[in-house]
Amino acid sequence: MAAKTVRQNQRTLTKAQKRRFVDAVLTLKRQGRYDEFVRTHIEFYLGDGEGRTRVAHMAPSFLPWHRKFLLEFERALQRVDPGVSVPYWDWTVDRTPAVSLWANDFLGGNGRRSDHQVTTGPFARRHGHWDITESVTDGDFLMRDFGRPDHDPTGLPSKAELAEAMRETVYDTDPWNSLSPGGFRNKLEGWSAERGARVWYNHNRVHRWVSGHMLGAGSVNDPVFWLHHAFVDLCWSRWRAHHPKAEPYLPLREPPIGDPQHDKVVPANDTLPPWDTPVHDLLDHGDLYRYA
Amino acid sequence: MNPNASVTGAAPGGARPLLTRRTLALLLLGGAAGTTATFALRTAVTGSEGRAPTAAGGAAAAAFDETYLGRRIVGAAVPGSEVDGTPAWRVTVDGRRLHLMRRADGTYMSMVDHYATYPTALAATRAAVEEIGHQALRARI
Repeated sequence: MAAKTVRQNQRTLTKAQKRRFVDAVLTLKRQGRYDEFVRTHIEFYLGDGEGRTRVAHMAPSFLPWHRKFLLEFERALQRVDPGVSVPYWDWTVDRTPAVSLWANDFLGGNGRRSDHQVTTGPFARRHGHWDITESVTDGDFLMRDFGRPDHDPTGLPSKAELAEAMRETVYDTDPWNSLSPGGFRNKLEGWSAERGARVWYNHNRVHRWVSGHMLGAGSVNDPVFWLHHAFVDLCWSRWRAHHPKAEPYLPLREPPIGDPQHDKVVPANDTLPPWDTPVHDLLDHGDLYRYA
Repeated sequence: MNPNASVTGAAPGGARPLLTRRTLALLLLGGAAGTTATFALRTAVTGSEGRAPTAAGGAAAAAFDETYLGRRIVGAAVPGSEVDGTPAWRVTVDGRRLHLMRRADGTYMSMVDHYATYPTALAATRAAVEEIGHQALRARI
């Protein structure tokens, strides 16, 4: 069996590691595989007010669904280059457009002011390797708008904000959606439990800070999506370590008939589409990869 | 008669909306009586207020047809689509479909902006227009 994958903090990657990661991503794009991931994420985004079963967002399975999504992506990368893994971006530390994450030899920088087009780095449209085809708008270039200065200025979540989620002592709480008043999952995903409140935290706020494609249905078009979600995944791993006695996933069983969430969420003893993977198989990742 | 029903029935799927503001206003006036219709008309035509005239995401929120930042935005609640009192909306920007989703608190988010929600379909649509700048929506999403 191949050596266990190690996911590194992106700031510790060597130049060669960055190049291999970028090259593998560009290869998947050229093969058409990358856009399949973009489409899957679009397909599985469902609001919790739609009255349908939701698995990827606004639901307890937000964390295992994205864990599996990242694993699938990482396996695809490793078919291109077995030595590559998904790095993580700790946004409580690397918080400015000047950090190496956004340098020309890695993910490239912010979009330009006029149309938010990313013009630097390997994912700039002008280099001819990164055409956007699965998106809401018709531009074929990657977009970013760090901090949204012209719309609603947004900062990255702080250490204190993340710590508040990490202090939660249960994994998730009824009503198992974006209005769950407590629980680690909703605090980390970043919805406010107050009805109508227009404040966003942690995971959601990072999507908003990067903005451009990261703001919408086509967020996977920006490769930083994977580095962001690898850190979200690491936070889940740390939460489990901090709360060893807590149930690693809730709800344990299907909410009963009559409960508004009956048949709307995936309980611990069920499986996750589109892979049909048992939630139980996604609660520990120690056999598959570790974080350095 | 539900004024939204008429509007939805004629809601444009293609590039050229079938309803003008004038016919929309006539439909609203003819279809509902009294102050509700007047309020709906005012919201629809002036578009001066982003909030619904009723509770957040309210089923009675008025259909809209306005030009916002140079884009023609048209939207109406879909009759019979309510989940917990919140209707789905059919919305177009310059004739192209903008998919909106409902959150459990009766607010709306758009495909352009998935990580925030807005108190009404109109507010979500305007925010999407602000975000997309000069780009058009892709026809097929």
